[in-house]
Amino acid sequence: MTNQLLVIVQIAGRRCALSALDVKSVIEIGTVTPIPRAPAHISGITALRSQALTVIDCRLALGLVQHAWPTDARAAVVAEGGHAYALKVDQIEDITTAIGEPGQVPGGFGAQWSRVATGMIETLTGPALLIDLSALIAGPDTLRHEVEAA
Amino acid sequence: MDDLLAEFIAETREMLEASSGEIVAWEADPADRARLDTIFRFVHTVKGNCGFFDFPRLAELSHAAEDALADCRAGRRDPDPQMVSAVLAIIDRIAQMVDAIEAGEDISNADPDGGDQALIDAVNVSRETSGEDGASAVKQGSSPRLHAPASALIDHADDAASDRAVSSRRADPSAAQRTIRLPVELLDRVMSGVSDMVLARNDLAHRLRQAGNQPTIDGPFERLTTILSDVRDAITRMRMQRIETLFSAMPRLVRDLSAELGKQVMVDLDGGDVELDREMIETIRDPLTHIIRNAIDHGIEPPSARLTNGKREIGLLAIAARQSGNTIAIVISDDGHGLDEDRIAAKAIATGLITAAERSAMSRDKILNLIFEPGFSTAEVVSNVSGRGVGLDVVRQNLEKVGGSIKVSSQPGHGTLFTLQIPLTLSIIAGLTVEVSGQRFAIPQSYVEEIVQASTTALDLSHMGETALITFRGTRVPCLMLADVLGLDTSADAARDPTLVMLRLASGDLFALAVDGIHNHGDLVVKPLAPAVMKSGLYAGSTLLDDGQPVLLLDVANIAAAHDLVSDGRARVLQPVADEAAKPALALPRAMLFTDCNGRRSAVRLELVQRIETAPVSAIDCSGPRPRVVIDGLILPLIDLPDTPVPGSENAGRVRLLRLSDGACELLVAVRQVEDAVELAGPLIPVPEDPLAEAVTLVDGQPVTLIDAHELFARYGEPPVAAGRPQCSLPADDWARTILAPLVISAGYEIVPPEAADPHTIAIVFDEVFEAAEALGRGLTGPVIRLRDRPEATAGSDTIYRYDRDALLSALTSAARFAHHPGGRA
Repeated sequence: MTNQLLVIVQIAGRRCALSALDVKSVIEIGTVTPIPRAPAHISGITALRSQALTVIDCRLALGLVQHAWPTDARAAVVAEGGHAYALKVDQIEDITTAIGEPGQVPGGFGAQWSRVATGMIETLTGPALLIDLSALIAGPDTLRHEVEAA
Repeated sequence: MDDLLAEFIAETREMLEASSGEIVAWEADPADRARLDTIFRFVHTVKGNCGFFDFPRLAELSHAAEDALADCRAGRRDPDPQMVSAVLAIIDRIAQMVDAIEAGEDISNADPDGGDQALIDAVNVSRETSGEDGASAVKQGSSPRLHAPASALIDHADDAASDRAVSSRRADPSAAQRTIRLPVELLDRVMSGVSDMVLARNDLAHRLRQAGNQPTIDGPFERLTTILSDVRDAITRMRMQRIETLFSAMPRLVRDLSAELGKQVMVDLDGGDVELDREMIETIRDPLTHIIRNAIDHGIEPPSARLTNGKREIGLLAIAARQSGNTIAIVISDDGHGLDEDRIAAKAIATGLITAAERSAMSRDKILNLIFEPGFSTAEVVSNVSGRGVGLDVVRQNLEKVGGSIKVSSQPGHGTLFTLQIPLTLSIIAGLTVEVSGQRFAIPQSYVEEIVQASTTALDLSHMGETALITFRGTRVPCLMLADVLGLDTSADAARDPTLVMLRLASGDLFALAVDGIHNHGDLVVKPLAPAVMKSGLYAGSTLLDDGQPVLLLDVANIAAAHDLVSDGRARVLQPVADEAAKPALALPRAMLFTDCNGRRSAVRLELVQRIETAPVSAIDCSGPRPRVVIDGLILPLIDLPDTPVPGSENAGRVRLLRLSDGACELLVAVRQVEDAVELAGPLIPVPEDPLAEAVTLVDGQPVTLIDAHELFARYGEPPVAAGRPQCSLPADDWARTILAPLVISAGYEIVPPEAADPHTIAIVFDEVFEAAEALGRGLTGPVIRLRDRPEATAGSDTIYRYDRDALLSALTSAARFAHHPGGRA
C-alpha cells in the first residue's frame, strides 16, 4: 500500500515506523505504576482517563540491554488484541507518508530487529524500519520460547 | 427499506415471544381480560405495520383477528373455544409468514392454498354460530400445527419427542416493557464514558476542596454528583441480562439428552427474571450445561427403574435462580437415585484421594463433595453424553475463577441438589486497598475474612524453614509477606508491626497476607490486564482509584495456589472435620474483649463495635464538660478517659479507641488494650449496682464486665457533628477585609458573608453598628464580638479595642465554644 501514513519514532537510536492507523493517540505519560514480577519490558500501568494502559518500553521489548537512551515524555498509544498499550520510545518524531512497500535488506536486520520488523520502508523523510506491533508487544521472551519449542 | 423490514421482523418476533405465554394462558382462561388486551395489542401492531410494508395477506389476517378481539373487548361477544382456536391459528400463521418474509420468500401473492381465507372465515363464522364449520376451517387453515407457538415456547418442535420430555415453565404475566435494541459496543462506550465522567468529577472535587468552600459552586457540584451516581447505577444495570437467556436453551438441551438416553425428563425453570452481568452468564453456561448433563445421564433413572421404585415415570429436573445480596444462587435438583456415598468413597480410596481410615471419619456431606476433586469420575461406563474428559473439578475451577463456588447434597433414592453461588457481576467488585513498600494493591473483599493489627510477638510469628506461621485464634495459620510475594523491598518498620489480612479461599483454607497498611475499601471497577501481565499469575485485573491512580488487583486464589496453600483433596477434607467438632452447637453472643484505661477487663457486644480507631492525643478535645475526639472529620463523644495521664502516652501520643454505634449515634471508648473477639459462653450475672454494666461473666476463667450498651448510649450517645470550622462574619469594610480577616482565618475561623450567617456564626461588628442595630430593634441573634476604635474602654459596654489581638482571640475562642455548646452566653 503506497501513501500509507506512518508515525516515525526513534527506538534505541534507530528510526522506526508505526502505521498511523494503529496509533490511537500520543499522550504525555503520567505516573507509571510499576508491576512487580512482570516481564522486564513492561514498565507498568498508567491511566488514560478511565482506561488503564500497559506501558511497554520498546527498547527492552527488543531484548536490548538497558542503556542510557533518551526517553520521550510522550508515548504512542496503540491497541493490540483488545488491550491498550503506551509505547515508551526515545523520541516521537513526526507523521509522514510511505513510498512503496516494505522490503527486506540483504543480511537482515539482526535477530531481535528481524523479529519485530515487517521490513524496511521508504518514506518522504527517508528510510525507516516498519514495526510489527504484536511482535514488539510480545517482548523478547517469546523468541526464546519459540527457539526452545523448535 | 431492508433495515426497516428487519426491524419489523425482529419486533414481531419479540412480541410473539413475549405474548406466547399470554396466548397459552388465554387459551386456558378465555375470560382473562389482561391477556386478551395483550393479544389484542399484538395483532393491532402487526396490522399497522403490515399496512406500511404492503403485506396484504398479513394485514387481512391480523385485521380479522383484531375485529374478533375488539368485539370481545367491547363485550359484544364471548370468547368461546372456537374463537380462541381461530385467533391462535391466525397468530400461528403470522409467525409462519414472518419466517417466510425473513427467508426472502415472496408472500405478496394471493393466498396459495386458500388457508388464509379459511382462517378468516373461521373467526367470522364463529361470531354467529359455534358450529362445526368454524372448527373444521380452523383445522384446515392452521396446518401444519395448531399450537406451534405453545410448543415453540417449551421448545419442542418435534412431536415425537414431546411426549418423552415434557417441559413446563412458569409464565410470568410480564408487563409490556418498551425496549430498543442496541449494539453491545455502543453500550460499552457509554459505560466507559460514564467511568470517565466519574473520574473527572473526582478530580474536580479534589480541586474544589483545595480551593476552599465556594457556596455558589458547591451546590451545583453536589447536584452533579447525585445525577452522576444515578446515571452510573442505570448504566450498571444495562450490563445486566435476565438469566432467562441462559435458561431458554435448557428445555431443548434436556429434551435432546433425554431422547438420546431413553429417559423421560420434565424440566422446571424458575427465577428467569433474575438479572446477571452478561459476561457472567457466558461464564456459567458451560458449568450449568455440564451439571444438567450429569443429572440426566447419571442422576435420573430409566422409566422402568423409576416405576419399580414407586416414582413417577417422568423424572423432574428443576433449575432455579435466586438473588441474595451480591450473589446469585442457582440450584439444580433432580429426583433421581441420588449420589451413592459408598461408591464415591470406594472410588476416592481407589484413586488415593483418601484412605480407608479417613473415610470412616468423614461425614456423608464430605464424601459427596469429593466428586469435585480433580481426577474423580464415578460413571463406570463413559457415555458420549457426560464424561467427555471434562470433570466436575473443571466446573468448580471455572466457577472459582470468577469468585463463585459449588456444592452438592443428596438424599439416597430421592435426588441430588447442586448449589452454585456466583457473584452478581464480574466488572464491579467490592475490594480492599492495601499498601506494601509504598505501592498500593487491591484485594477482592470476598476473600477477606478479617483484618488483624498486632505486633509480631502477639501473633507469635515464627518461621518454619521458608514458611512463616502465625497463631490466630489458637490455630497456626500460614502467612505470606506480600512484599516477598511481589519481590518488593521490605522496610524494617513494616516487618516489625505488620497488618495481616486474613484471607479465606473458596476451598475453605485460611491464610494471612502481611501488608504494611490498609487504605480503604469500596467498589472497584475492574479492567482486564494485558496478557503478558496476566501471565505472571499474580494479578486478576487493574482498577483506578478515586484520584485516577491505577492499582493492580491481586489474584488471591492464584497466589495461594502458587505457594501451595491450597490444600489438596485429602487435607481439605480432613480440616473441616476438625472445624466441625470445634463448632459449638449454638451461636453464642460474641463480644470484643478489652482492658479499659483503669485496667479493668471489660467487654462490649461485638455487633456494636464499628471499628478500632487509633487517634493522636492532639485529636482529643478536653475543653468542654465532656471530652470529644475528632475522627474522620467528625466530632464524637469520648468516654472512659482517665484524668491523668492520657492513656497510651507510651504509645507515642496515640490512643486506642473503640468506635461504637447504635446505628444513628456513635461514640468512642478509650481503651488501654484491645484483646480479642470472644464468645460469651459463660452465664451472664447481672450487676444492678453498676448502671453501666450489663453483666459480669467469665472468659477463660477471668471475670469480665460486659458494658450495658443501652445505658451507654442513653448517657453519652449523640449523632456525630461535622467538624466544620467555626464561622465568623466580619464588618463590610476594607479594614476588616485586609487587616482583620487574615487574623481571624489564621485563628481557624471561616469567613462567611453576613447574609449566609446562621445562629452559630460569630458576628464581629463595630460598636457603632451594633448600637445602631440594637436601637433599631434588629439585634443580632448569634454570639457577637463588638469592636471599638479607641484603646480606652467606655464604661458599661462590653467591647474590645480593634488592635487588641489577645482579647480578640480569646473572645473568638469563647464565642466558638458557645456556638458549639449552646446553653451559655458569650
